[in-house]
Amino acid sequence: MQPDAGVLVAALALPFVAALLVPALFRVLGQRVAFFAALVAAASFGLLATQYGAEGAVQLPWIPSLGVTLTLYVDGLALLIGFLASGVGVLVFTYSYGYMAHEHGHVKYYATLLAFMGSMLGVAFAADLLALFVFWELTSVTSFLLIGHHQREAASQYAARKSMLITVAGGLFMLAGFLVLAFASGDTAAGRTFVLIGTENSLIANGDAVREALRASSLFVPALALVAVGAVTKSAQAPFHVWLPNAMEAPTPVSAFLHSATMVKAGVYLVGRFRPLFVPDLPAIPEWTLLLATLGLVSMTITAILAVGATDIKELLAYSTASHLGLIIAGYGLAGSEALELGAETGAFHIFNHAVFKATLFLVAGIIAHEAHTRKISELGGLRKDLPIVAGITGIAALGMAGVPPFNGFWSKELLFETTYYVAKAQGGWFWLYPAIAVFGSVFTFLYSLKFLSLFFGDRPDALADVDVHRPPLSMLAPPALLAAIAIVAGVVPQVAIDAIVQSAFEASVPVGVEAHSLKLSIPKLFSFTPYLGMSLLTIALGGVAYPFYDRLHAGVRRARAVDYTSPNWYYDGLTEGANGVSRRLAIAVHGGAFRTYAAPFMLGTSVLALAGYAAAGAVTVEGVGAVPPVPLVLVLGVAVVGAMAVARAPSHIAGVLTLSILGFMVAIVYILAHAPDLALTQLVIETLVLVIFLLVLDKLPAYYGEIRSRARTVADAALASLVGFTVFATVIVATSAQPDGPIFEFFLARAGVPAEHGPIFGDYGGGSNVVNVILVDFRAFDTLGEISVVAMAALSVLTLIGMRARTDVGGDDPEVTEPGGRGPEESPVTDGGATDVDTTEGGEAR
Amino acid sequence: MTQDREPTVIAKTVTRTVVPIIAVTAVALLIQGHNLPGGGFIAGVLTATAFVLMYVIYGIDTVRRDLVTRSEGYGLLSGPTESYERTFAAGLALAFGSGVAAMLFEVPFLTQAVVFLEGVPLYGTLEYASALAFDLGVYFVVVGSLLTILAVVGKE
Repeated sequence: MQPDAGVLVAALALPFVAALLVPALFRVLGQRVAFFAALVAAASFGLLATQYGAEGAVQLPWIPSLGVTLTLYVDGLALLIGFLASGVGVLVFTYSYGYMAHEHGHVKYYATLLAFMGSMLGVAFAADLLALFVFWELTSVTSFLLIGHHQREAASQYAARKSMLITVAGGLFMLAGFLVLAFASGDTAAGRTFVLIGTENSLIANGDAVREALRASSLFVPALALVAVGAVTKSAQAPFHVWLPNAMEAPTPVSAFLHSATMVKAGVYLVGRFRPLFVPDLPAIPEWTLLLATLGLVSMTITAILAVGATDIKELLAYSTASHLGLIIAGYGLAGSEALELGAETGAFHIFNHAVFKATLFLVAGIIAHEAHTRKISELGGLRKDLPIVAGITGIAALGMAGVPPFNGFWSKELLFETTYYVAKAQGGWFWLYPAIAVFGSVFTFLYSLKFLSLFFGDRPDALADVDVHRPPLSMLAPPALLAAIAIVAGVVPQVAIDAIVQSAFEASVPVGVEAHSLKLSIPKLFSFTPYLGMSLLTIALGGVAYPFYDRLHAGVRRARAVDYTSPNWYYDGLTEGANGVSRRLAIAVHGGAFRTYAAPFMLGTSVLALAGYAAAGAVTVEGVGAVPPVPLVLVLGVAVVGAMAVARAPSHIAGVLTLSILGFMVAIVYILAHAPDLALTQLVIETLVLVIFLLVLDKLPAYYGEIRSRARTVADAALASLVGFTVFATVIVATSAQPDGPIFEFFLARAGVPAEHGPIFGDYGGGSNVVNVILVDFRAFDTLGEISVVAMAALSVLTLIGMRARTDVGGDDPEVTEPGGRGPEESPVTDGGATDVDTTEGGEAR
Repeated sequence: MTQDREPTVIAKTVTRTVVPIIAVTAVALLIQGHNLPGGGFIAGVLTATAFVLMYVIYGIDTVRRDLVTRSEGYGLLSGPTESYERTFAAGLALAFGSGVAAMLFEVPFLTQAVVFLEGVPLYGTLEYASALAFDLGVYFVVVGSLLTILAVVGKE
């Protein structure tokens, strides 16, 4: 079935439109805007549901002049991510109604969360690499806003900045990877394309040719590595897992959404989506596996160990998320031998399972924090009596997370074991480390899952003794209950989930040309012993043995974490704090506040570049330079030269400005002599206005020039001024000596006026005899629109900058004083001549 | 300019006479712009100079009191002086809107047309270019922006 373009665009656009409506609706609905948002998510879900079973691409023109189209692609994997984003979205919005009741910033919260959901849907359905990148970075930006929801708290700021820095930087690596891919596709018969999948010319459809082209230019590994950096930063894989625990500063519904169903899933989605492109249909182990499976398994183990060291329930869940994403990436990463399909099955099925049980657990964590007023693991326990339903829900989800049969997480972890076992058996040697690491990491998964469950059992600790734990409101209880129900179905009858979505999702990650078989899982499989079932039993047994020593393990992990050199956080902080010092020094060097600091290098650079450009192009010709201008022009220019000399010798600001305006008026007369009355008029009026403004400002300044202390400075200034003057002169010569083949003015002259014969209404002629104005408002009206926008922008900036200064330092100081006590008097901008003084004032404003 | 130096009677009288002339000239420049030297930009700058002149001679408070407060409620005319910020916002909206309006006729953004109106009293045939709306937008943006900058800088 072909997907319907209209339905897809509607599903993608709906959250963004709704996000725009939130501020207005909040005035009407108040906090019930949560249900509106849930309704939008449900509508998106419903629209996507109509595309269930569809496969194929739809193309919409986006930037037709550049041949860029917005290509959307629908298949099982895209639908899986889309359903998770919109479906969990419905639950998270509903849950937010209860959770956010006593919080602030509802408008920002719901609008951003909706925009985030839209971006995530965009990531899932974009088939064009550029569109994918745009949506990808949109999720980074919106998640930045969500993680920093408590914007005044330092911890939130730190967390938001960290996640933004890591995920956006990773996204830029990914963009570089995309460009390499598009570049490589240029060498194939299909031609250069940014379309990843779905069309005949897409990268995946020409996978073999693209891989060959990449190998020929030895760009295969760089392209793979660049795309992988994007994926692993987003999915918080080691060593980039550091941002995820901090991101728990966000309100819990955000965590449930971003870190179970969406944001971090974008990374694993990318891995699954690119798998057919990078994995050839070969029995050998490709680079893909060496890179991603190793990284995934190592991350899974490291973060599972860190989760055991967590003291906060949300921190535990965050590390566990990174760990399970490692499992998914390892699954997708395993390829070659018999793993071509098995690996994809692992990845796709665990995306589903993890989203279900982790969203449940995050929502439970929110309930615990909300009702028990603490998130410290050591202060929680015995909640079963107060929250019996929540305890049941947690049991289902936590056992799924632990991988205990027959709960849902077991099945996908079993697939990972099976995959690693087959890869190891086929390759032998070091590859036996894969199953070994998988089991080792899973033991820790089992441990922290039980720890989370233990919050509901045992006795209540002293800290909780006099806390009155309420039952959560229905809007907070229903979403996790629904998710737990899904989890139990997926656990007991895994075939239901497979048939519904997982089968078609894993088919998307199988290399082109491999016929994917259908996956069959059911409880009876548990009763036939296989090596990988043995691995599961070994995991559970080891976990059971180790659980009594949990506290010692916990303390050990905390001690190891405290060592600087083993913690990626230490490197991150060192890097950002180190950058602070450098940027501060740089800022002081280039942003001194004195106008000449900015003007001199800028003018020198511009002049040198321009002159070098003319010289290199051989543009300056002396031809015609010797021509004698007519007498009136000589007179006017003579007066202008005298005026210019007078400016340089003016004893005071007032005299300087007055003589400068002589120059301006002479230029106006030159325009008149050149038959350009419009220009002359404009120049005259502007000159008058500028003169008045100068005089207004000068009223506040001392009436005389400062002294120039050093002769060297005078000489340097004079040299620079002469250079600038010469550059302008040369530019005029070059610009006016140009002789374009078809002068454009003929078109304007012919089209500006009223045609000889015309009807009452016509559009192709300007209908005015003032060609200049017709050009401004008709032929080139778009330019003018841009210019007046700039004018308005300038006014706004002056309004804001000066308005802000009035608020920050009361009793606005003398604009001449640039940096308190910083600069010597010879650095004072006054030496730069009358014209710069106004700019200095603005420079002062700008700080 | 400032309170310590009171402008002379001559300056005040001349300003009172000249400002309306400047204002009328500005409007004339705006309207004739399509066929003779002029246009929204020049007219806007000229209008701003009229305000500047009054501001220099009478001070910002008088300008505010006489032109802003007193003319409130006089409809369209009070618009430009009511709030400078609003003026350039309106101008930008007008210029942009005139472009969008073209799209309603299924022609590209900012396409302009010329209309000849027949049988207008006193004038007979009158040429109207849709670019005038755009030019008016330019005018308001320039007036609003310049006066905003002036008012803010002048207050310092």
